[in-house]
Amino acid sequence: MAKYPFTNEATEYAKELELKIEDISEPILNRAEHRIEEALLDAPVREQLVKEDVEISSFPVAVMMVASTADKLMKRRYALTEAKRAFNLLKEEKRDKILEVKNVFNWKIRPVDDKPPYKFALFFTDYLKNATRIQAKKWKLVNRIVLNGEVYLPKYDTVRLLQEEVRVHIEKKLDVKEKIALPQNVADRVERLKQAFTKQKGKIELEGFPKEVVISAFPPCIKHMYDGITSGHHLSHIGRFTLTAFLTNISMTTEEVVNLYRSLSDFKERLTRYQVEHIAGARGSRTKYIPPRCDTLRTHGVCTGMDEVCRSIRHPLAYYREKMRTIKVKAQ
Amino acid sequence: MSVKEIETKKFVKNKFSEYYREHSSSIQPPTLIEKREFGFLMFKGRIMVRHKSFKNVDDLSKNLKTLVPSDAYYSSAYYERPEEKMEEKSWLGADLIFDIDADHIPTPCAKIHDTWVCNNCNIAGKGVLPEKCPACGEPRFNEKTWPCEVCLESAKIETLKLMDMLKQDFGFSSKETNLYFSGHRGYHLHVESEEVQSLDSMARKEIVDYIIGIGLETKLHGLVEERGARKARVLTGPNLEDPGWSGRIARGTYEFLLTATPSDLEEIRLKRKVIDTLTQHKETNLEKWKEKGPWGIIKGVDTASWRKIAQHGAEMQSAKIDTVVTTDTHRLIRLNNTLHGKTGLKKIEVPVTGFESFDPFKSAIAFKEGTLKIIVQDAPKFRLGDQTYGPYKNRQVELPTAAALLLLCKGRAKVKEEK
Repeated sequence: MAKYPFTNEATEYAKELELKIEDISEPILNRAEHRIEEALLDAPVREQLVKEDVEISSFPVAVMMVASTADKLMKRRYALTEAKRAFNLLKEEKRDKILEVKNVFNWKIRPVDDKPPYKFALFFTDYLKNATRIQAKKWKLVNRIVLNGEVYLPKYDTVRLLQEEVRVHIEKKLDVKEKIALPQNVADRVERLKQAFTKQKGKIELEGFPKEVVISAFPPCIKHMYDGITSGHHLSHIGRFTLTAFLTNISMTTEEVVNLYRSLSDFKERLTRYQVEHIAGARGSRTKYIPPRCDTLRTHGVCTGMDEVCRSIRHPLAYYREKMRTIKVKAQ
Repeated sequence: MSVKEIETKKFVKNKFSEYYREHSSSIQPPTLIEKREFGFLMFKGRIMVRHKSFKNVDDLSKNLKTLVPSDAYYSSAYYERPEEKMEEKSWLGADLIFDIDADHIPTPCAKIHDTWVCNNCNIAGKGVLPEKCPACGEPRFNEKTWPCEVCLESAKIETLKLMDMLKQDFGFSSKETNLYFSGHRGYHLHVESEEVQSLDSMARKEIVDYIIGIGLETKLHGLVEERGARKARVLTGPNLEDPGWSGRIARGTYEFLLTATPSDLEEIRLKRKVIDTLTQHKETNLEKWKEKGPWGIIKGVDTASWRKIAQHGAEMQSAKIDTVVTTDTHRLIRLNNTLHGKTGLKKIEVPVTGFESFDPFKSAIAFKEGTLKIIVQDAPKFRLGDQTYGPYKNRQVELPTAAALLLLCKGRAKVKEEK
C-alpha cells in the first residue's frame, strides 16, 4: 500500500486515518513536500520508505498541495514522477502483485504461462488506451501478438503500460476545478515549492527568437510540437528529431533549440546539446539533417492533419518557404 | 444545370419518393435511435440537413417520406443531445466502423469505366483520376465513377481479410459485427459493442494501422538474424500457423513466393542474383517451408532481401480500408435499407455466412417493376440482376426501372420527354 498510494486500498486507509488538513502531522507534511520536490526540482528520489502510515498519507496530501497550485506544468510533472516511481517498484514485483494493481484500473488482464516470453494477456482496448501515448515502434498494435481480443505482453511492457495508467489516474486527481483552501502552514509550503519551481523554470524561460524565425509560418505539425514542447509536453523521438531539424534549418541557433527543450521533465542539457549539434551538422559526420518528408511523418503519426498549404507541398520546409513567401507578399 | 438535368433530377426524386412511401416499414433503425444524429442530403441544391434526431423508427420513416432525400445518414456516435450543435451534443461513444470502397483499392479493371473532366480546362480522360490535369496542371476534376463487378469483387476480397482480422485477432463475435453493401462501390462493417464505444480517435487509428499494416516491423515479429552452430548466421522468422501478424507475415511471404513472377520480384527491388536463385529453386524452397520455414535456408538470399520479400508478403495480407471513416468518431454513415443517390440501389445487410456468394447487383435492387425510356450518353457494359446491358453511346433505350435509374443517378443518362 505504501508503495502504491494511488490504489483504492490506500485511499481507503488514508480516509480511515481521518486526516484533517488542519492537523496533518509534521512528518507527513515533510514527506509530501519531498515527494513534490522530487518531481519538480529534480531532488534525489528517496528509495527507502518512511513509516508506512506517513508514506500512504503523504500522497493524498501531496496531491492536494499540487492541485492547489493550478499550475498545469507542475501537475503534469508531478503525475509523471509518481507514475515512474510506481513503474520502478512494479517492475521488481511478482506477477500476482502486478495483477493486484491492475484491479485498481479495471483492466481485463490474465496471466499467461504457455507462451513464453509472454506473461500477460491484456484486452486490446485497455492496451490501446495506454499504448497510444507511447511512441516507440514496438508499441504499435501491429507489432504485437493480438489473438482473440487479447494482446500478449512480457512483464516489463505490462508494467510500462501500468505506468501510463497511473500517470493519467494521478493527473485526473490533480485536475480540480474548485479552488482549494489550505491552512496557512501548508499554503506556505506550497508557495515555497512554487517559487522554487518558477526559479527553476526561470532557467528555461524562452529567449526571443531572431527576426528570421516566423512561427506563424510553421506547418501545423511543427507548430503543434513547438507549442507542446514549450508547455512541457512529452515528444516522441521522431518528433524531437523533426522539430530540431526543422528549427536548425530555418536558422535557429543551437543555443535556442536547446533552451526549447529545457521545460521537458527528462531534459539533460549535455545530451540535448550533443544531439542538437549533431542534427545541425556541427558534429560527427558534419551532415546537416533535414526533417523527414510529409509522408514519413504521417506514418509516424507526427502529421497532425493538413491545411490548405500542406496540400500543395510534400515537405515541412517547403511549407515554411511557401508560407513565408505569401506572408511577404501580403506585407507588401 | 440544363432543363433536361433538372427534369431528370425531379424524375429520380419522384421515384425515390415512391420507394419511401411503399417501403417505409422496411427502414431499419440503428440501435439506440434516440441517441443518434441523422443527416439527409437533399436533391435540391445538394444541401445536407444535419443535427436531426428521432425518438423512434416511425418518426424516422415519416421524415423520409416527407423529405425524400437523395441520401440518408446516421451518426456512428451516440450523443446525449444529438440535435444540438456539435460542441453541445455531448459525445457518449461511437460504434467502430470500417468502410471498404473500391475507390481506395487498386483493382484489375484499372477503373477504365471511370471518367473525369478537368474543372479548369475541360479536358476529359478515362481510368484512375490523375493527381493533376495532364493538360493544365490543375488538381480539380469532375469525376464520374462506376460500380463495376471487378471493383466490387476486389472490395469483397479486402472485406474478407478485414473480417478475418476482426474475428481471429480482435475476437469480435458475429453478433457484434454487421456487414452491409453500401449501395455503390463497397462494403461497410459495423462493430457494435460496449467495449469499443469509448475508444478515442487515437486508439481507432491504431486499429486502422493494424488492419492496413502501417508501421509493421518484421523484426518485431521475430524475423531476426541469429548466431547458430559454429557461429554461422541464421535467419529465423515467424511460422505459418503463428497468430496475428506474425502468421500473416509468414503466410504472406509463402503466398508471394508461390505466385511471384521474376518481374514481381524485380518490382520489390531484389538483386538479379537473388531473383534467379528464388526462381530456380522455387519448388524446393516452398517444399522446405513445411519443415521449419524458409528463412535462412536458401543460399544466396540475404537478410535484407528476405525483409523486402516479407514486407511485401505482409502488405498483401493487409486489408485496404478507408482510414478516415474508422478514425472519425463523429462520422455520418448511410442508413440501412435506404437508397443510394448515386445508384438508386439500396444499402443492405449482407449475411456474414453467405458473403462469398453474395451478389450486390442482385440483392441491392430496390425497384423491381416496370421499365423506363431514357437517353443514354455514355455507359459501359454492366449487369444488374441476371441481365446484362450496354455498352451504350448516345442512344435511346427502354430498360427495367432499376437499370435505367442506375444510369440516371450516375449522370450517364437523361429522361426521355413524354409527348
